[in-house]
Amino acid sequence: MENLIDAFWGVTISIGVSALIFVGANRLFDFVVDRWFVFQAITGAIFGTIFSTILIGNRLVKGSALLLVVLTVLAFSVLTSIPQLIEKHRTRIFVGLLSGTLVGVIIASFLKESVNPQIQTKSFIFTVLMSVLVYSLPSAIIKKFRFGGLLFFLVLGCLIGGWLLSEIGNGSKDSTYLLTVVPFALIGLALNIGPKRNLLERNHFQRRTRVGVFLGPALFFVTLGLIIPLARTIYLSLHGLKGREWAGLTNYGEILTNDSSIDLRDWSNIFTSRLFIIALILLAIGSLAGVMLGKKRGRIIQPSATSLTPTAIGIFLLIFAVLSTLRGTVINNLWWVIVVTSFSTGLGLLAAVLADRIRFESAAKSLIFLPMAISFVGAGIIWKFMYIARPPQKPQTGLLNAIWVGLGKLTPGSVGQFIGVALLLLATAGLVALSIFGIRRKQNGISIGSLFVSVPILWILYRLLGPGLGGVEEGARGLPIAKPILFVQEGPFNNVWLMVVLIWIQTGFAMVILSAAIKAVPGDLIEAARVDGANDRQVFFHVTLPTITPTISVIATALIVLVMKVFDIVRVMTNGNFGTQVIANEMWQKTFTEFNLGLGSALATVLFLAVVPAMALNVRRMQRSVIQ
Amino acid sequence: MSTETQEPKISQGANPVDRAGKFVYRLLKAIPVWALWLLVIVWTIPAGSLFINSFRTRDAQRSTGWWKSFTEGGWTFDNYINVFSSRQSGGLWQALINSFAIAAPATIIPVAIAAMAAYAFAWIPFKGREWLFITIVALMALPNQVALLPLLQMFAGGAHWTIPNTGMVITLFPDLDLAGTTTAVWLTHTAFAMPFAIFLLHNYISSLPKELFEAARIDGADHFTIFWRLVVPLSVPALAAFTIFQFLWTWNDYLVALTMVGGNGASYPATINIASMAGEFGMKEHVLSAGAFVQAGVPLLVFFFLQRYFVRGLLAGSVKS
Repeated sequence: MENLIDAFWGVTISIGVSALIFVGANRLFDFVVDRWFVFQAITGAIFGTIFSTILIGNRLVKGSALLLVVLTVLAFSVLTSIPQLIEKHRTRIFVGLLSGTLVGVIIASFLKESVNPQIQTKSFIFTVLMSVLVYSLPSAIIKKFRFGGLLFFLVLGCLIGGWLLSEIGNGSKDSTYLLTVVPFALIGLALNIGPKRNLLERNHFQRRTRVGVFLGPALFFVTLGLIIPLARTIYLSLHGLKGREWAGLTNYGEILTNDSSIDLRDWSNIFTSRLFIIALILLAIGSLAGVMLGKKRGRIIQPSATSLTPTAIGIFLLIFAVLSTLRGTVINNLWWVIVVTSFSTGLGLLAAVLADRIRFESAAKSLIFLPMAISFVGAGIIWKFMYIARPPQKPQTGLLNAIWVGLGKLTPGSVGQFIGVALLLLATAGLVALSIFGIRRKQNGISIGSLFVSVPILWILYRLLGPGLGGVEEGARGLPIAKPILFVQEGPFNNVWLMVVLIWIQTGFAMVILSAAIKAVPGDLIEAARVDGANDRQVFFHVTLPTITPTISVIATALIVLVMKVFDIVRVMTNGNFGTQVIANEMWQKTFTEFNLGLGSALATVLFLAVVPAMALNVRRMQRSVIQ
Repeated sequence: MSTETQEPKISQGANPVDRAGKFVYRLLKAIPVWALWLLVIVWTIPAGSLFINSFRTRDAQRSTGWWKSFTEGGWTFDNYINVFSSRQSGGLWQALINSFAIAAPATIIPVAIAAMAAYAFAWIPFKGREWLFITIVALMALPNQVALLPLLQMFAGGAHWTIPNTGMVITLFPDLDLAGTTTAVWLTHTAFAMPFAIFLLHNYISSLPKELFEAARIDGADHFTIFWRLVVPLSVPALAAFTIFQFLWTWNDYLVALTMVGGNGASYPATINIASMAGEFGMKEHVLSAGAFVQAGVPLLVFFFLQRYFVRGLLAGSVKS
């Protein structure tokens, strides 16, 4: 309860303070046009507060802090406001100089003896001259030289040369006075050397300040919370264990050469894997179909559903064959990105298209979308229960293993097996009939497609009748022993089972957005296609799909970015064990449990670099819509 | 009309193979609907089975699958009682309160800040506006991982810079000793939320009619008045959409909390709590199912009652109108 109360106060105070600052800043800048003097006085007071707080915070002062704050605030507001009341230019300059001196004296008298600087004459003069040069040259070239500007740079030179390049603590109090009074007097001079701002300038100034007021907080958080940390992470990634000693690209080299991140040793096994062979067969069938269909239409190759489906599945299986044989963190990440992005988008598209024409559309979509509301951690737990594998002697309590082992336990001649065989036979018979039907009607797509589908069904039928299907092996005395799948532990395909969790979550996301995009396809377009005699399938492939392609690419980009940094699911389900490590989890472990800041930062930077293309894509997209 | 043209015409009384083929063809045409409902069932089972399991006794959960409970019973409410007793769950109550303590400020503050920034980007012309906007929006894709370590270091000890050759240390950011507190978590969330929030709200605010602003300007309203009196009331749908989105996001967050809270168990949000329960899977299986559902309860309620806004937020975020 304490935390809640603390949080409540924290929120109330921070919102109150923020609102106060926001409204205050708005009101303050209201003064700019009508009451310049008041604005100057308040601005001075604010600067005084900030300046004295910095001094006190860095423990540079002695004596009463409160007195210092009060005096500095007063002196600063005098410095900024009083000269504004004076009309005569010379008097104004004089008053400015005087009040600047006053500020300098007050501050110098409060500074500790231990900060007295011992001025190094050579470097001091050098810095001052440099600062004059740095301002004068460019401003002379662009013809915007102002005496006030030069004075500000002179102050900067004095401060750098006097305070940063001297030996602090060895000097005398006189040098402290000198190095405080002179810069402030110069500031007083610089503020008043030019003409006073007229109404037009103040109007202009006021408009610009509004931008600052409205953007300030957001820029504060973005800079402090994203940009600076990003820069620091990149900086740390070039340094060693503790993040101090320079290490160049060693960390990146380690990531690229380490077997745990990219392990290519088993590459030759790719060509002997079953997946690879099936993939090759499918690719051959796909291209053969394409060429045959192409001959009929007088083209070299004809892309159509009949040729593209096997080709696509073949390519997919090929990717699986490669990525399941090559191991390592980076490979795993790549696998995640490819599988989750394509499956989520694909299933989402399927669900969106199918849901578009059924009753209870919103109920169906809600249920598919529901996992989006569940945390990655919760989803990991939910699927952990689905994947439970219990010892062979005990009943399986996870649904998937219960089905798997249950299938294996179907004894020949049992009712279960009979039903299974009957269903499969029926399906095969139906498909064969459909195929003959297709041939008679000269619809090759239907006949070839149904024959394709019947191949895996026949294979399942064979397994069911012959060697048995499912998780059972022969134990002692010929008794069947359950052999549950260790979904989470058994590599390399445990990776896929973890990916299923994210697919389960993200399909709803893809579906909702695609569904909206499909509904936004202009009705006239579809009507026109229908009038021209297009059927459902043609309308989908030639009207709907091209229209929603930009949306699909948006979703794919968003998913790639999201999947790239997958962390929670892996951490909760395996914590990177059993060959399921991914970059984000590796980065977390290296940084926050092994305290290898350099390597951890390098891994984070790799993640960043991986999404740079997506960023560029987003920027291009934004440019098109923002800058016309 | 359309469906008839594509179905191959079969003459009456054709041979049986033709008739069977037609029958299968019809069946196949109905497949899409069945496929969708199959997908829905498959998508519902995982969460549904955990939900059922959360009402079963420890023994029942460990001996049979949840589908057996319809015939064999073994129902109980003890898991939900146990999960709140701190002995078994490591203080889920406290964790839920912490989750609120993180999610509330991490939602309210970004909405306020981003609305202001989005207004400035949409309706206050200034130099470099487009580029600044694009830069911020590009950061939307930035993986949070790149900012975690520097932010934690800043929260834990501030940011300091030692001036070379002098040994003098300048404090760039004060040491506020925030590491391990919920404040560190929501501050981080606030920063991470900025790009998406600005993008989403800008999409909406920039599409408000231009005449509105011109009329207000003619009436002498300044930006502050326009923002407060016009933009905020008109943008309620977008603000609500982002609020819901951000609330779910921060409530369900695990990575940021884990990093910023570190070892301080008193500040754990519910996600860390159930994740550590899951770490001891064998022992706490039975309370884990209840715990996971308690953690998911809040987002599910939000989801069921405010789904419209949530979907709207997603759409506005990804599809440029």
